[in-house]
Formats: sequence, structure tokens, C-alpha cells
Amino acid sequence: MKPRLWVTGLGLVTPLGVGVEATWSELIRGRSAIGPIRLFDASAQRVGRAAEVGEVAVPREPRGAWSRTSAMALLAAQEALAMARIEPARTRVGLVVGGTTAGMFETEQLLARLHAEPEDGERLVDLLSHPLTSTGDCLERRLGPFIRVRSLSSACSSGANAVVVGAAWLLSGEVDAVVAGGCDGLCRLTLSGFNSLGAIDPETCRPFDRRRRGTILGEGAGFLVLEQAGRASARLADPVAELSGWALGCEAHHITNPAPDGHAMAGVIHRALARAGLSPRDVDYVNAHGTGTLANDAMEAAALARALGAEIDRVPVSSCKGQIGHTLGAAGGIEAALTALVVARRVLVPTAGLDEPDAALGLVHVPHVGRAVPRVRAALSNAFGFGGMGTVLVFTEPAAAAARKSPWQERGDDPGHETETGVVTGVSVAGALGLLGAEACSELPELAPRENPAGLDPDEHLDGDRARRLDRTARLAAVAVERALCDASASAGDVGLVFGSAFGSVDDCARFMHRIATKGVRAASPADFPNLVPSSPVGHVSIYSRMHGPAFMTANLATSGEDAFAQALQLVCAGEVDRVVACSSELRSEIVERAFAPLFDGLRSSARHSDLAAAIVVESRTEARSRGARVLARITQVLEWRGDGAGAGAAIRGPNSARPQVICARSEDRVEDFVSRTPWRSCQRWFCSRTLGESGALGAAAICVAAARLGAGRVSEALVVGLAPGRGYAIVLGAP
Amino acid sequence: MDAARLRTEIKELIVTELNLKGRLPQTIEDEMPLFGAGLGLDSLDALQLAMSIEEKLGVRIPEGEEAREIFRSVRAIADHVAKVRGA
Repeated sequence: MKPRLWVTGLGLVTPLGVGVEATWSELIRGRSAIGPIRLFDASAQRVGRAAEVGEVAVPREPRGAWSRTSAMALLAAQEALAMARIEPARTRVGLVVGGTTAGMFETEQLLARLHAEPEDGERLVDLLSHPLTSTGDCLERRLGPFIRVRSLSSACSSGANAVVVGAAWLLSGEVDAVVAGGCDGLCRLTLSGFNSLGAIDPETCRPFDRRRRGTILGEGAGFLVLEQAGRASARLADPVAELSGWALGCEAHHITNPAPDGHAMAGVIHRALARAGLSPRDVDYVNAHGTGTLANDAMEAAALARALGAEIDRVPVSSCKGQIGHTLGAAGGIEAALTALVVARRVLVPTAGLDEPDAALGLVHVPHVGRAVPRVRAALSNAFGFGGMGTVLVFTEPAAAAARKSPWQERGDDPGHETETGVVTGVSVAGALGLLGAEACSELPELAPRENPAGLDPDEHLDGDRARRLDRTARLAAVAVERALCDASASAGDVGLVFGSAFGSVDDCARFMHRIATKGVRAASPADFPNLVPSSPVGHVSIYSRMHGPAFMTANLATSGEDAFAQALQLVCAGEVDRVVACSSELRSEIVERAFAPLFDGLRSSARHSDLAAAIVVESRTEARSRGARVLARITQVLEWRGDGAGAGAAIRGPNSARPQVICARSEDRVEDFVSRTPWRSCQRWFCSRTLGESGALGAAAICVAAARLGAGRVSEALVVGLAPGRGYAIVLGAP
Repeated sequence: MDAARLRTEIKELIVTELNLKGRLPQTIEDEMPLFGAGLGLDSLDALQLAMSIEEKLGVRIPEGEEAREIFRSVRAIADHVAKVRGA
């Protein structure tokens, strides 16, 4: 039987207050925190109002490492761990951080200057808080050790997605507890971007009101501690609520506009309820995404009506955004925590500002102030993001859950995903050497390095009309993903997509901020803004290729490709999805080469950089068998670690066949040192950078080459090692 | 600037700003509807076009219902730009 998951800790930093109780008491009173922006000069903006957290003590050491976002995340994660009485030093705790901005507020003006005149030097240390990974790294320093850390983004569903990733880790038994959630600080870039889209209401945020004219941005952090019920009850921990169901999926419709009919998100709600073994009759409350834009609220009402059927006339729906604003990447975490509290305290949180409900939406509301109810058997928390990435969480009363049969029990069989193993069925590398499928990838090590600065023109492989909104990163990714799926003889459909990127689109963020700095906020480009969200390549590729499965991006410095692959495999092994494409796509960037790569990865800036994308189709062995797919490689072992990986080397399964090969992204002393401490020390090495040049996508390319060589019978086993300061991956692939 | 040249400039702006590869500016007719069945643009395109008209032609497009009228066709946009400039 699958273990049940309990929420045993919560932590909140919101515009209503720091801490769970401060937020809750103001929330049920109906107070709104929306007002004029004080954090920065917003006087030239179309709308200069937001819901701010106010003063946050941002740690100063190490210099440049901390952002407001990370400081809020620290407070929330700390509160959640304290409530759960969990000490990471004494148990195996995983950390999952969702977000979109990290240190954007601290770095956006410096980036605008770097766009105009690239420079080296001491000031670059101020960029340390920029990458999404910075929050996880800061939290690990203060709260760790964590045995695993994931930084992810799926735009405004990031926080909820983090909870799902944490749940998948718990089910696999690889961690004893997770602290998962989201965090985002207000910044000029997101305010300018949302203003450019005309998505901000000039006065306030009024979800579901017929006068609603947009959302209002907020900021904050929300984290949950989750653990297996058996383990939690054994240590006498009190559950707040049970996380009994979840689902994620992608509309594959439009990069900013939700699909009006709500069909795809209704499917996600339906699957989340099915996972919980519940029907719409069991649902007593919905905490809506409810942004207050015309389009979101209409889509969400349509999705709820489809998913809940006749019960839509009974189930109260509310949104917190009239009080705390849209906290973007934090929203899914904050609102998940609040939904768990609604179940625990039997008080429905209100929708503030809802004086004139929009009758066309056909919803039952909780206007103005909180409402006590006899019980809340099950509550949904919805989170939807740019690109149509949606996540739905289902929280239930833990006591009721114990009495109810688990859906796995009822089926009489465990689906067996815990013992499921993954295989690679398709690979593709798109870059300076053209568009390579499995066969060409397998021959790469035999090719002499060659200069080909022209590289690949992705437009030769894409439908121009459909691809017109894709930036070059997304275009290269789309070409590689389509080729890998084609190689795997797999259609897109319900396939998932995990995209690894170290720094996102740094250059485009810098250009966007430079335009604002020199031409004013009205020059903020509405077409460019969606491409600055770290998960934008995922949204674009899922729309281009019509992929409806779980989709998000992960970041882990120079090991982002390996990170995406590990995450894709975890989704498959947890039974979330049958097939996932792990992908990485990175463009040459002067800012990355001169500033970010040396600062974070110690990568030499003299290396020859090139645009590169790589994609790997990962699926369960059961799925590959049942559809008769050609298997390139078996995934024998995936190790990921934090710290120096001293113990990891010995844990790697040794080669026990005739022609093993070590295939890595780039030749580095640290990789050589590491391999020399593994049973693979005497095996032949090959490094992707030799033929593909330097790129952030090399880690994914190394996995492609390793799988392709196994598929072609050129090697009998392969080890891929990816290292960056403080983290590492070892992936062992075997012959099919 | 004469009206025909202004319309040509707007068509070029549409093709480059909205990345309509494979579409030649001269194949956009003056009266062709820009949204839906016509050129197939959507609300995000309208926002981008409004920003670039303001930046390149120096004329601000009002928001809301008024914008819908102005963005009906290239001719309607050109008429609005000429009107504002002439005022």
C-alpha cells in the first residue's frame, strides 16, 4: 500500500504578516494588504500598487548571496520545520524551492548596466543572489544539511509544484521528510512586465467580482513540511492535514492566456481527486488561483464547473489574492499552507473586495470575512502559471483519511511504481554540429573537433507560424525535443517536460531592464516579458509540441541538465507520468561567460562557447515494453548529492562488463578527482566539450551521448558524472 | 508623412515586431482584419503592437474598447496615428 502523507509543519511570510498566526488572523478578518509600493520607485508605472511584506531583515553574509526572496523563504521554512519539530541534522530531509525571481530585485539594475557595458571585477559578487538556486543554497547553509535540494519554476504554480515534487520523493522513500514551497519577492521586472500586459487592476484585486480588471502583485513565502503518516505518528507528530491527492498538467494553449473552456485544468482537478480516491461530493472548499484577471477567473470557474459537476452549486470557492495579492512563485506554497489550515481549523478564508459577484462565473463565494463551518472533509488548492502549467493539491482531514480505504487498496493492487525502473528511448542534440539523433550522437566521440560557428538554424526544422513567439532558447529546445520524441517513436500527448537551466534567460532580462532604464517603463515589451520567466521554454515547447504532461524547469548551476534528468526519472518512478522529456537549452551569453560561470561554477571563461540543446526521452520500462519501443539504455543508478560528494564515489555501482566508458560534460580536475575515487577509475573517458564546445546544456548532452552509445552497442556500460561546487550527480546507464 | 507611407510603415512594424516570418508586409491589405480570421493576431500581439507604435511612431494607443476599434485594421491604426499627429 502506498504511504499516506501528512502535513506536519507550516511556515508563512505574507503581506498580512510574518508567521502563520499573524497571517491567518488578518486573513479571516478580511484585511487587505494592498497599497502603494514603497520598496522601489514605482511612480512611472501604469499601476504602482502591490501587496508588500514590508521590512525584511536580509542576512549580509556571505556578501551578495542573500536576496529578499531568500530571506522570506528562510523565515517560512524555519517556521515550518519548527512546527513539525524536525531537525535536518538528525533525519533525511529534502528541500524543494519553487519560485520565479530569486534575487531579481537585488540584481536587475546591475544586469541592466552589464547589458550596456560588460565588465569583470569585484562588483560581480553582487550577482550571487540572482539564480533560482541561490535560495536553496542559502537555506541549506542556515537550516541544512538537506540530503537533496531542488530549485524549480513553473511560473505561478511553482510553489504548488514544489509540494508535488516533495510528495514524489516521500513516496519513493528516498527522504523521511520534505520542506517544500514557494517564495518570490516583488521586483521592478515583474511589475513592469505585468503592467505591460495590462494585467494589473488600477485600484485593487477583486477576484470573481464583475468589476475586476486585473490582479495585484504580492510577495512572500510559504513552505510545508510533509512526511509519511506512519513515520510522523511514530514520532507523535500532530498532523495539520493530509495531502491526499495532487496532479499537474499543461494546457499547451498560449504563453500568457488561459484556455477559456477550462478543459485542461478540469482534467488536472479530476486527476487530483482521483489520486485522493475522492469524488466531487467529498469536496467542501476550493482555494482558487483566483487572480482577479477577467481571463483567469472565467477559465477557473469553467474548469471547476466541468470537474465538480452539480457540486459546483454547493462548494464554496475563495481566493486570497484580494488580500495578499498574487505572490507569483510563492502563491502555490502560501495557498497550499492556508488550504491545509482551512481543513484543520474548519474556517473558510474569504475573498476580499467581492462586493458584486460576477453571476456569469456561477460560483458559491465566501465574501469579505472568514466563515466557520462544521467541517471541511476535503479542500482543493489550485495554482496556474504562464504557459498553462497547472497544479492542483487536495488536502483532507487526517482522521477521516485513516478510516477511508486508500485508492490503491480498493484497486487491490499496488501499481508497483516504487520498483519501476526507467529507460531511455530517444535522444537528440541540437547545436553547432547540426541536429543529431541517437545514431549521430553515438558517433560523436569518434568525430574530430571542428569549428562550425554557423551552427544550427532551428527555423529550418520548425513551423514558422507556430514558432513565432519562441525565443532562440525555446526554438533550439523545441527542435531537440521533437527530434528525441521522433527517435523514440513517441507522440507528444501526455508526455511531461522537465527543462534544466542554470541561469535562465539572463541576457534577455538584462536587455528588458536596460530598455526600461533608458526608455522608461512604457517601453517594457509585453511580448518579451513572458520569455523572462524561468520556465518560459517549458511553456513554449509544450505549446509548440502540444505536450500536456507535467512541465516545469529546474536549476542547478552547471549540473542543470543532470538535475532535469534526475527529476524526470523521479516523476516516472513515482508514477506521476509514463514518459518525460528531460531537456536543456542554453545560448552563448557574454554575461554568463564573463560573470556567472566563473562566479558560480569556477568555469574558465576562455572556453569556446556555443548554442546547444539536448533532449532525452525517459520512460518506465513497463511503458516502453508495452508499446514495443526500442530501448537505448537502462537507467541503472542515479545518485545526486549535496556537499563535496566524498561518500558518493564509493556508492557508485562498478562496471562489470567489457567496454565501459565514462562520459562527462567537460574535462575538469574535479571530475577526474571524483572518478578516480570510483570503481570506474581505470575506464576510458570522453568529454562532450571536445566536440560540442562549452555550454550549460552539456550535462544533458553527455547523457544523450552515453545512452546513444549504449543503444548502438559501442559501449557496454556508461557513467555520467556532473559536478558543480557543493553538488553533484552520478548516472549509471546499462545496455538495453 | 503621406497616408500610404504610414500604412506601409505600420505593416512593416506588424511583421517585424510580431515576428510574422514568411509574411511580406505588402500582402497585408489595408482593410484586412488583424485579429481572428484575418491576420490571426491575438491580445498579446495587440499589446506588443501598441507598445511599438508608441515607441516608433510616437503615438499612444488608448486602452480598452477604444483600442479594439483602432486595431481593427492597418487603415484604422494609420487613421488614428494621423489624427493624433494632426491634432
